[in-house]
Amino acid sequence: MTEYINLVIAGTVQGLVIALAALAISLSFAVARFPNAATGDTMTVGAYVAVLVQAATAGSLLAGSIAAIIVTTLVSVACYFLVFKKLERRPLVASLIASIGIAFFLRSMLTFFLGFEQHVFQIPISRALNFSGIRIIPIDLWLSGIAILVLAATFVLLFLTPLGRRMRAVAADMDLARASGIRSGRVMIALWAISGVLSAVAGIMVGIKTVVTPDLGWDLLLPAFAAAILGGIGSPGGAVLAAILLGVAQEVSTPFVGFTYKIALSFVALIAVLIVRPAGLFGQPERVR
Amino acid sequence: MLPYLVTIAIMIGIYGLLTLGLNLQYGYTGLINFGHVAFFAIGAYTSALISLAGYPIALGMAAGTVLAFLAAYPLGLLCLRLRADYLAIVTLSFSEIIRTVLISEEWLTEGTQGLPGIPKPFSSLSQGNADLAYLALVATAMLVAILLMWRLSHSPFGRLIRAVRDDEDAVRAVGKDPAQLKIKTLMLGAALAGLAGAFYAHYVGYISPDQFLPLVTFYAWIALIMGGAGTITGAIVGSSLLLFILEGSRFLRDVVPFVSEVQMASLRLAVIGLGLVLFMLYRPQGLIPDRSQS
Amino acid sequence: MTVHFRSTTLLGGIALAASLIAAPAIGQEAYRIGALNPVTGAGNTYGSGMQKSIIAAAAEVNAAGGAAGRKLEVLAEDGQTSAEPAVLAAKKLIEVNKVNAILGTWSSSVSLAIQPMTLASNIILMHTSSAPTLFTQNQRNLDWGFQSGSKYNGRAMAAAVKKEGFTKPAIMSFNNDAAINNVGFFRKAWEAAGGKIVAALTYEPKRTSYRSELQKVLAAKPDVIALSGYLPDTTIILREAYELGATAKFIIPDWAAGPALLKALGPDVSQGVLVYGTVPNIAGAAFKTYSAAYKKALNTSGEENVFGAQAYDMVISLALAIEKAGASADNVAIAKEIRAVSNPDGEKVTSFAEGKAALKAGKKINYEGASGPLDFDEDGNAVADFALFTYDKGQYVKRYLLQ
Repeated sequence: MTEYINLVIAGTVQGLVIALAALAISLSFAVARFPNAATGDTMTVGAYVAVLVQAATAGSLLAGSIAAIIVTTLVSVACYFLVFKKLERRPLVASLIASIGIAFFLRSMLTFFLGFEQHVFQIPISRALNFSGIRIIPIDLWLSGIAILVLAATFVLLFLTPLGRRMRAVAADMDLARASGIRSGRVMIALWAISGVLSAVAGIMVGIKTVVTPDLGWDLLLPAFAAAILGGIGSPGGAVLAAILLGVAQEVSTPFVGFTYKIALSFVALIAVLIVRPAGLFGQPERVR
Repeated sequence: MLPYLVTIAIMIGIYGLLTLGLNLQYGYTGLINFGHVAFFAIGAYTSALISLAGYPIALGMAAGTVLAFLAAYPLGLLCLRLRADYLAIVTLSFSEIIRTVLISEEWLTEGTQGLPGIPKPFSSLSQGNADLAYLALVATAMLVAILLMWRLSHSPFGRLIRAVRDDEDAVRAVGKDPAQLKIKTLMLGAALAGLAGAFYAHYVGYISPDQFLPLVTFYAWIALIMGGAGTITGAIVGSSLLLFILEGSRFLRDVVPFVSEVQMASLRLAVIGLGLVLFMLYRPQGLIPDRSQS
Repeated sequence: MTVHFRSTTLLGGIALAASLIAAPAIGQEAYRIGALNPVTGAGNTYGSGMQKSIIAAAAEVNAAGGAAGRKLEVLAEDGQTSAEPAVLAAKKLIEVNKVNAILGTWSSSVSLAIQPMTLASNIILMHTSSAPTLFTQNQRNLDWGFQSGSKYNGRAMAAAVKKEGFTKPAIMSFNNDAAINNVGFFRKAWEAAGGKIVAALTYEPKRTSYRSELQKVLAAKPDVIALSGYLPDTTIILREAYELGATAKFIIPDWAAGPALLKALGPDVSQGVLVYGTVPNIAGAAFKTYSAAYKKALNTSGEENVFGAQAYDMVISLALAIEKAGASADNVAIAKEIRAVSNPDGEKVTSFAEGKAALKAGKKINYEGASGPLDFDEDGNAVADFALFTYDKGQYVKRYLLQ
């Protein structure tokens, strides 16, 4: 039993790390209506800025995080203005392909100037709290706390503010939203800014849990997409829940399927769910185009 | 120099076949398949395993093509239920599932150790001549594929699949089932990818799961987008351009030694990335535009 | 037929561009070396250093008047630690640059993919890969492995585990050919001596956490875990093992260790982690030359890059073999002399100039390299000395030599 509880904990933490990325993807998916492949590399940019600024400011993670959030927000909004805004009225493949191009470009700039060496956040490493065999690692508690805080803030923004209402209106039907006087341009900027902030936080979390390398975000893209779709596009809560579910399912499955097939498991789960519910677990069927 | 160009031409042929398959699926029918590498891998592994078991190479290549063709059927069934953007992620996931199977099923695939020593055809010839003969074979396959594609695109079937891309309701209105058309094009495109995979395996002579990353799919997409989706010439121009960018940087390094190898690799990726963005912004129809689309 | 027209003009374009910028004028006597290294991809930690080491060693040979009067010329390529780009790069090196040898392929997948090409063209291949097939396909002695293969790694690990008094080892391996073979040979050596492995597990790269993997292995209560992976995954696993309060020790290969691991983990977590690896002959003259050249080219210590020293040695032993075989010798004749200039029973030399002088004087020589004594076994695999290292209070210290 303890074994499974520990696996659930391991899966939950992994799920939470991916949840923020999934949320960022889900948001831009819902409003901009294409899967943004540049999200992963925006995360990487955030992780790099944070780890480098932390090293330059004698270990201040806060300074690093603030710098990272500023940079990724700028990157994200710049992507919108320079590229995605111009592709708004075109088939979604145009934006998808362009986002892959941006992903490659961002990564190439990182490796051009910083090389491929791994960087590590300076975080004190401490032993797990042990509740008769059930182990909780303090840093995981911190990360979970931050993830929950960020998720809560996003929810408040989306569901309790006028801006959030406008965002959801644009997501539901851009033309109708325009017709009812919503200035969709501003809404889009806000959306891309939020997605940038989320990317930075997600990148930093992954960087703290693992090591910062140029592939950090790109490698998480597919699991994050899987969670976003499984959760149902336009359902940010679904994306988060799906990420955690996938994380837990993966780890709990390891005693049965081993440590290689567990990776395929989340993709199999994605396909299986989509066969039954083409709109995802928490998506609304009528929104399927 | 010539043997190197022959190699490049062979790789262009292999990517060309891969891209032609994608062209059929996306360019003609509008299916957003991001799992193309799965069929490439199935073709490569099937052909390699059969020829390593001592059967003729031709049999292996045929089997690789057929198996890729068949493997697309279940995926095709799934496509029908999904919206276009989900399809991209689902097919991408499918290709990663296939790769995981290649890693895990060691009894068949040797796992991450890969399969070395895959037989090459024309091994009785000298290496240069064998490569030339191989190029001739790839070129023939390419020509046949192009001819078939040309016939197909000018047949009623070709007009129908284009109609699926442009207006599904119109297809239904004339009493045709868009679903069946989608499955068929997915399977045909997969067969081309499988054939490309077989050619790849027998040319490189060593395959392992890490050669079948989603990057291969992206390369095919890049070739298709640069060349121009919906045209046969576009797929070939696109794969030539792709190889030109990938390989050209090697020669660039011989004349600009002050750029380090690491930076050159970064620049290569930057050129591809920026190129994609610029193409999408300023020339979405690619170098060879599809005249059938307004 | 626009298809044909366009593709031929494009090809013609490549040909034209290539002929304009092809290799610079080459003297008749130059011996051309292709440095095909993992500058990008999984091997990027080592690739640039290997390439710079090859260039530095070639410069050293040229400064000493060349090998049998032939200048060495180095053409560098990035193999991207990946088979397909490496095949194209090798093809370019062989056919366009007309290299005589390809040096410094790193991963087994790259070496396996280009081996058929080098064999068919009678080109010498010097690599640092460990796949057993590489050595069995080496019929004409054209291929040389400078990194002690899995067999030797496994034995060294078993020797260290035994000497440290462990009785219940577990195995964790990164899922690739080299790592799996390393622990595979460890298991073989350990079980042959009557020992038992309590748990074995292969893990996938690029996970955000290895907690469930660790949980599985730790459940078997091992006293030591033989972990065979690379720097990023090793960093994460060791950190999580510490966090989970694991009491088992770890033994890891040196390419996943070094100062970078210490920097990532800090003194507490790294305390007592055992590291096995080949010992570069740090006190030796060859290592000092290499180290100085490395420092000059990359501004970091050459000790951090075991493969850099091996790449350096590739050039020196190749040059000595050319020197011995004579200016007109072909590759098969040159390759035949690699063992003759490197293996025991000759006067020990530690630089190309020294070896050249000894050869001129008609003596037998034994090159003692920067990476080790550089004695090749019957497969053409260099057998090096292994040692056990550990981290102690934030210092990377050598414990003892392994037999």
